Amino acid sequence: MKKKVLATLVSAALVSSLLVGCGSTSTGDTTAAATTAAAAAATSAAATDTAAAATSAAATEATAASNDLLTGTEFEGVTAKEAYNFSVIVKSFQSTYWQAAITGMDMAKEELGITYDAQGPNSESDIADQVNMLNSAISAKPAGIALAACDTKSVLDSLQSAKDASIPVVCFDTGVADAPDGSVVATVATDNTAAGSVAADKMYEILKDKIASADGQVRIGEVNQDATALNIQQRGLGFINELIKLVTADGKTVAVAGNEYYVNAAEGANGDEASADVVIEVAVPAQTTVDLCNTEASKIMSKEDTIGIFGSNQTSAEGVLAANNNLGVLNADPSKGMIGIGFDAGSVIKAAITDGTMAGAVTQSPLLMGYYSIYAMTMAANGDKVEDFPMNGYWYDTTNMTDSQIAPNLYD
Amino acid sequence: MKKSKVDLKKLGTQKYIVLIVLIALYIFFCIASKTFRKPTTLISLLDMSFYYVIMAIGVAFPIMTGGVDLSIGTGVICYALFGGTLVRNMGAPVWVGILVAIIFGVGIGLLNGILVAVMNLPPFLATLCTSMITRGLGSMCKATPWPTGQQDGAWFHNIFKITLADNTKIPVGFLIVVAAALIMGYVLNHTRVGRYTLAIGSNKEATMLSGVNVKFYHIMAYVICGLFAGMASIAYASAIPTVQPGTGAGMELDAIGGAIVGGVSTAGGIGTIGGTVFGAYVICLLKVGLPFIGLQAYWQQIITGIILIGAVMIDIVKKRRAQF
Repeated sequence: MKKKVLATLVSAALVSSLLVGCGSTSTGDTTAAATTAAAAAATSAAATDTAAAATSAAATEATAASNDLLTGTEFEGVTAKEAYNFSVIVKSFQSTYWQAAITGMDMAKEELGITYDAQGPNSESDIADQVNMLNSAISAKPAGIALAACDTKSVLDSLQSAKDASIPVVCFDTGVADAPDGSVVATVATDNTAAGSVAADKMYEILKDKIASADGQVRIGEVNQDATALNIQQRGLGFINELIKLVTADGKTVAVAGNEYYVNAAEGANGDEASADVVIEVAVPAQTTVDLCNTEASKIMSKEDTIGIFGSNQTSAEGVLAANNNLGVLNADPSKGMIGIGFDAGSVIKAAITDGTMAGAVTQSPLLMGYYSIYAMTMAANGDKVEDFPMNGYWYDTTNMTDSQIAPNLYD
Repeated sequence: MKKSKVDLKKLGTQKYIVLIVLIALYIFFCIASKTFRKPTTLISLLDMSFYYVIMAIGVAFPIMTGGVDLSIGTGVICYALFGGTLVRNMGAPVWVGILVAIIFGVGIGLLNGILVAVMNLPPFLATLCTSMITRGLGSMCKATPWPTGQQDGAWFHNIFKITLADNTKIPVGFLIVVAAALIMGYVLNHTRVGRYTLAIGSNKEATMLSGVNVKFYHIMAYVICGLFAGMASIAYASAIPTVQPGTGAGMELDAIGGAIVGGVSTAGGIGTIGGTVFGAYVICLLKVGLPFIGLQAYWQQIITGIILIGAVMIDIVKKRRAQF
């Protein structure tokens, strides 16, 4: 009897300690999602603390330069009418990209005197968890919500609820296609299609001669971490469509193979997989993790005729590098090996570019993206109209990594 | 009595059936895909499977006691993150990071053991809770790469794979896995820890009435699992460039699936380490090989699921026979 009572008490203590996490953030809870939301809320609240503590130094430095960041943009001269509280929902805290975005948000927070809560699901494939977080955030009625959607289709209903509750939503990092009219006030994101095209331009520039003089079929691979988030779709298709344009302009035939979404959405492919001069093979893993991207990349990189591979975000680029740890085929010099091109930054990718493994990558400005999205939400909460704010992707390689315009975007 | 003896012998041969399945699958993939035949594919396969096989050897022990340990998936990530954060952000030497990861694993294993053996919580519930705890603890850290390439401390990669000057790679980790399998096989069959683990699984009451300190050996099964999870976290860190917080959930199911395919019974009391290793390799072979034959991600999951169902059905038949 005693043991049973003790066991029940310990179980109750364990379960209640999970639910305590609920109280520490502003999430309302539904019974079904209570435990998941609690665990996730506890972890993401902790993540905000870690990020905030580590970046206070960077924030003070940047405040001095921040006026330059606003001049010429729609955010110049914006101040908060009151100490708003916003809700930020990132795709996840899986990669250091999001830490950089949070740093930017903290910079804006200091300048404007507002506050925000950041939350994110455990991984970028936990779509349902993110939808739950979004719904909880909407019920808490913040002054505004910033959202980076893991799956553009899944959030449409929640965006309608946000609109009905008159909560302005700013999409950052990725837009939401077909959002209900008026629900999203602005999108602060890189022009992902253009960023993907930049990668394709560089890939073709390096490989043009190899393709022209090839006597058999050649293959260029692309690893996308998913086929559901708009930014990854745009980037992946941006790369594929631009590459198709360049290859066909030089008189070669090209075919797209692999993941059905990308094969069907590609434009202008004029060959079939068996006989085309160039095959673009697209792989998408079952979940957005580095080890699954690794397996997919290995498959493509093991093939004899592969001459280049593109990883369209930090996770998939690191998967490509993990595969290369075993295969050893990548080299920034096309005559010595396969060309690898990455996306975003992070210490692993930066190191690979510095030591000649990867030819280069396209970086975004997650820090500025976070910064501007807080400003956009403040403007919307003030009642002003906000325009979309597209940002640039920058190509970087060993020749320009230390340039003053590029270096600040190369987060660790 | 005679009937059960014969049945137990037959059940022990599942180990060899799995080995045959493993070899047949490997040959199938070689035939089906030209690129699969390259030697680098075998190295990739081994590199990617070290942590699963080590996790499977560890988790076989709790399963043999009739329980399970669901915390190893998120646990491996958590221990690798803590070790990596110590090395990356606090400048600790790599061997300290490794030690911390292993000790952390043993600690969580001990916690699991106490919850199950002393507090009598159902193992599923107890380890589910610890898996949430380890997931949360891991998420406190930022995504962390362990030292690699030319960096200080990258020597630990050599524990699992030695890269020679001309870029050929020797999968030393395979020898470690073989050694671990042989050692734990010996432990299972010839030491008290192993024999009592099986005894607890097959009939806890009877074992206790025979005067064995059941609590101690029950806890030990979970401690062994935690120890191997800690070791698996180092294997994981050496294979994957950056350990990402929030990942890992689901890895334990592959390890547990591997153990079950290899003949460990969920009812407890039956299992071999050899079978576990072969079963874990079958799961990893499917993970790595299916993409090579051109199947998209969802087919891989469907096929792996079907094979696991097959394994579980064999397990159920075993259970029925064991209930004489």
